[in-house]
Amino acid sequence: MTITAEPAVQVQGDRVSLLRVLGPAHVWALGVGIVLVGEFTGWNFAADKGGALAALIVCWIVGLLYTSVAMIDSEVTSTVAAAGGQYAQAKHIVGPLMAFNVALFLVFAYTMLEVSDAILLGDTIVAKAGVEGLNHNSFIAATIVVLAWLNYRGVLMTLNVNFVITAIAYVSIVILFFSVSPWTQGAVLKLNELVTPGNALPYGWIGVIAAFQFGIWYYLGIEGTTQAAEEVRSPARSLPYGTMAGMITLLIAAAMTWYVCASLMPWEYLGITYYPLWDAGKLTGSALLENLLFIATLLAALASANGCINDAARAWFSLGRDRYLPTWFSAVHPKYRTPYRSILFLLPIALAFAFIADLNQAITFSILSGVLQYTFMSINIIMFRKKWPLGSIRRGYTHPFHPLPAIVLFCLCVVTFFAIFLGFGSQLIAMVAFYFLISLWFHFYRYKFVRRGAQFTMPWPKPQGY
Amino acid sequence: MWVALSYACWGISIVLALWMLYDWFKIDTTYSEEMLTSSREGELEAVSEKHRI
Amino acid sequence: MARYTPPEQSKAGQVFDIAVVVVAIFVALWLPLKLGLAGAAKSIDALDAKTWEALGQNPTMASIWEKLGYTPETAHDIIQNRFHYIIDWPTLIIMAAVLIGYFIFLFRASDREYRDVINEKFGDK
Repeated sequence: MTITAEPAVQVQGDRVSLLRVLGPAHVWALGVGIVLVGEFTGWNFAADKGGALAALIVCWIVGLLYTSVAMIDSEVTSTVAAAGGQYAQAKHIVGPLMAFNVALFLVFAYTMLEVSDAILLGDTIVAKAGVEGLNHNSFIAATIVVLAWLNYRGVLMTLNVNFVITAIAYVSIVILFFSVSPWTQGAVLKLNELVTPGNALPYGWIGVIAAFQFGIWYYLGIEGTTQAAEEVRSPARSLPYGTMAGMITLLIAAAMTWYVCASLMPWEYLGITYYPLWDAGKLTGSALLENLLFIATLLAALASANGCINDAARAWFSLGRDRYLPTWFSAVHPKYRTPYRSILFLLPIALAFAFIADLNQAITFSILSGVLQYTFMSINIIMFRKKWPLGSIRRGYTHPFHPLPAIVLFCLCVVTFFAIFLGFGSQLIAMVAFYFLISLWFHFYRYKFVRRGAQFTMPWPKPQGY
Repeated sequence: MWVALSYACWGISIVLALWMLYDWFKIDTTYSEEMLTSSREGELEAVSEKHRI
Repeated sequence: MARYTPPEQSKAGQVFDIAVVVVAIFVALWLPLKLGLAGAAKSIDALDAKTWEALGQNPTMASIWEKLGYTPETAHDIIQNRFHYIIDWPTLIIMAAVLIGYFIFLFRASDREYRDVINEKFGDK
């Protein structure tokens, strides 16, 4: 077998490309930064759907789902290292139409997550202020515009900021955990009085399944690390390392968050509050903790929105670069080396939805697109291993136990679809109808503008079976 | 204090949005479209590292 | 195999395509909100006796509710607001059919396009 080493595209004349400046810490900051806000709001709606114990069960099971996602993603992306992440993977492994859909999943999931973050941040400030007539719109606008500006000005600064604010938000969860003396129940924490055999699973097992929908929110977005592939100094090493480290960090954070929150408030309240960790800070009775968690909630929302702008713009940019969408979007800023037109294009869309949608709806849109994408990933890895078996190309990382993670991922996606059906079935049908129609548009009209062979850019041998 | 902060947020948003629009216009009129959209997937890092504007 | 040369798209065509995508995005996200399809089936199972015991809250829970600023009256609508999980089979079957149909179309159409890509990329070597 031969491994061709020459670049797939000849380089000539004046070229601008994205800048390779990031290290593994930035990958971690991008992944965890997007996700960590899920601990500050969102995961707790799982308690609403199935009770406190259901929230814990899905925390573990969905953690398993995401561990599979991270493993699969690390293998494929350490091999297909291109901006657009899963989009570029789909393009090389499944085909153009799939790639188009995956890019839309990504843009939707991240833009709606950004919208949720901005709404959360606005609402948190309004709740803190407690001033009559204060509207959250100004805070939403500032969040989205300032972060878009930061992204516009360069990826290194953007992710350095993300690293710092994510780290602070994470440390605040750890501080909260240790300051309520987690080793002794009864003093501050009252888990056995709040979660009793009578109320642990108020809806029985169907509630546990329904809770999957928001269980996704514990970790949604960790797969966004792959979007940085063209800006990381050594993608084959940094991406798997940053993603796995991120996943471990999040599993720990999720477990601590559940334990503290479930031990401090009844599940009926936990299920409806927008600020579970901030409320937990309040309920400890310490003003210091309360303020710390207030600030951490804001920082986590900022970090997440920041990473989402970064990821959505990269996916949109890649679509333009391959002519799936007008090439106009594939411009790179000659000074800041960012996909500036994509950033600017997505900015008003995010703003518009942040002003009209509410938090729950924005979260559901994001989750839906995410789960569609994970379903794709489980099939994608199987096709990847079949078309290029181990040894036929150089992989930066090879995940163990194949095909077990893919099967687990697929089954959990099916369960999650059923969970979404239990709450948001018609929304799911509407979304899929949209993806179906836009796929027809792409397949029968838009694809004629796409160069055929040129979009396959990896220096790989011909896939098996073709 | 919070109301003032709210106005400050509007102010910052407008200023930064205008700056981005200005910079966008400046870049699009200064550089050629071919140069701006010249990024290609799969270029080796060595190539992009060497390139300086 | 002959290399496929795509037509150059005019500026107006590019703008039109962007408009199509934006409109599609807004319709897909806005319509469910407008039609009131978003949101789960939750309804309040009203209770006559509004006390912490009747609401199923033990003294520890009650003290936390009070710390959060609730009385049994104000907490009633939160605690008794319950999901009613009913499996509506026709909807479930439609949903499954739509999802499976969508994925089958995606993979089959992608595969057709993919064969072109592979032929052009590797065919002339």
